[in-house]
Amino acid sequence: MHDAAAGTVSAILATPLDDEASLIRTAQKGDQDAFERLVREYDQSVLRLAVNLLRSPDEARDVYQEAFLKVFRNLHLFRFDCSFHTWLYRIVTNVCLDHLRRRKVRKEESTVVETPDGPVDQITRVAEEGAAGNPERQMWNRELSEGIATALEGLTPRERTVFELRHYEGLRLRAIGDILGTTEEAAKNCLFRATQKMRTSLETFV
Amino acid sequence: MKCEEIVGQLPFYNYGEVSSEVEERIESHLDECASCRETLAKHRSFLEVLDQREDTGAAALLTTCRLDLRRQLAAEASRKTRGSWLESLRSFSMFHIPLQVPVGAMALVALGWFGARYTPAKFGGVQAGLTQPMFSNVQSIEPGDSGNVRIAVDEVQRRMVTGSLDEPRIQQLLLDAVREESNPGVRVESIGVLKNSADSEEVRQALIDAVSHDPNAGVRLKALEGLKPYAGDAAVRKALANVLLKDDNAGVRVQAIDLLTAHHDDSIVGVLQDVMQKEDDGYIRTRTRDLLQMMNASVGTY
Repeated sequence: MHDAAAGTVSAILATPLDDEASLIRTAQKGDQDAFERLVREYDQSVLRLAVNLLRSPDEARDVYQEAFLKVFRNLHLFRFDCSFHTWLYRIVTNVCLDHLRRRKVRKEESTVVETPDGPVDQITRVAEEGAAGNPERQMWNRELSEGIATALEGLTPRERTVFELRHYEGLRLRAIGDILGTTEEAAKNCLFRATQKMRTSLETFV
Repeated sequence: MKCEEIVGQLPFYNYGEVSSEVEERIESHLDECASCRETLAKHRSFLEVLDQREDTGAAALLTTCRLDLRRQLAAEASRKTRGSWLESLRSFSMFHIPLQVPVGAMALVALGWFGARYTPAKFGGVQAGLTQPMFSNVQSIEPGDSGNVRIAVDEVQRRMVTGSLDEPRIQQLLLDAVREESNPGVRVESIGVLKNSADSEEVRQALIDAVSHDPNAGVRLKALEGLKPYAGDAAVRKALANVLLKDDNAGVRVQAIDLLTAHHDDSIVGVLQDVMQKEDDGYIRTRTRDLLQMMNASVGTY
């Protein structure tokens, strides 16, 4: 009996539902397994975007949960009139923007926390926990990362999102416009302003 | 194109976000204009600086996020089931009483039939016709068309999943098993299988989590065994130092000190001195003292 079950499941696993559309349709019918597979196609980049935009592992974790739960609850509304990637990122960036805007209202929450060893940036700490190596290099990386973080904090939430999506995630401006519900031209202007501000802030590192 | 226009287009030119016509015009301008070439070089240096931003360590968070999401999805599914059950009850109560009697009787018959069919074999239940072991729970009963009864049954099915350790799905199931709260045996077994794949960052992080937080000492020991080849890794050493100072099991602390001292590293002197202050176990104290002496460090802190 077990062997028969094993055979069935192995067969399921061995049949890759590489066609994203059929994976989405299966998930829309309530198949949780298909939904999880869909999540795993995208969740690494979603989490990276959230961590980079919010620079807070805890908030990024909240964004991850909130965004994928929204996807789960609304997947039946997805009508294939845009790519799933665009639809998903629309949800993710909206959740991130909400967090960033709430933070603006709270006068920009700092990612620096007090520890027994003095103040430490939460993101730098997470990165360092996973990295070993040359201390001078680490020091330089830390200063540069903090410089970039400060420069990004000088941008508006929308500019920060456009910049992150274009520069670090490599998305086309047209896709960014679709995700943010605006035109390619508006995304382009936003990127231009963001780039100018970033260049001014990071002058000492260039 | 004038220099001013070119400079305004350079950020988009670098990202390949200009039309081929604009691209050609920019390139022919750059061929002739040293000042714009210099601006372009500066812009590229700026982009290189941006690319040196440190990795955010998002990968280490991923496993936790996935587990949280799985829990949330399960809770969501259970809420949905409860919702439909309540709705069923509400609609059921709207029927006229005489109709409820035969329907109720039919429901009881059906409940008995399902109960017998899905009771596990150890309770003497009927297994004929089942293709897989299954446990079930009737959640709602409502009258259907032409005298039938519709019964909502929650089923938990066991299935066998086979595959190679290299398959991400198999590896993910094993990683989930490392965090299976109710069954330490499963956690030990999964760590036993995963420990050969600890070169993957995700697996190593799961082993570190197990060493640091698993309530079962056997599981923690098994995870320490898996981390042995990575005792030189900074994150692993940090976890080992923490175990040495805080773990309540002497066997686990012995294993941790053995791993920590396999690599010469002066940065652990402070941890070892703390251990001398707090440790009650004679073997660990002796081992710590020997190590401190070998490192020419004082045994106590002043």
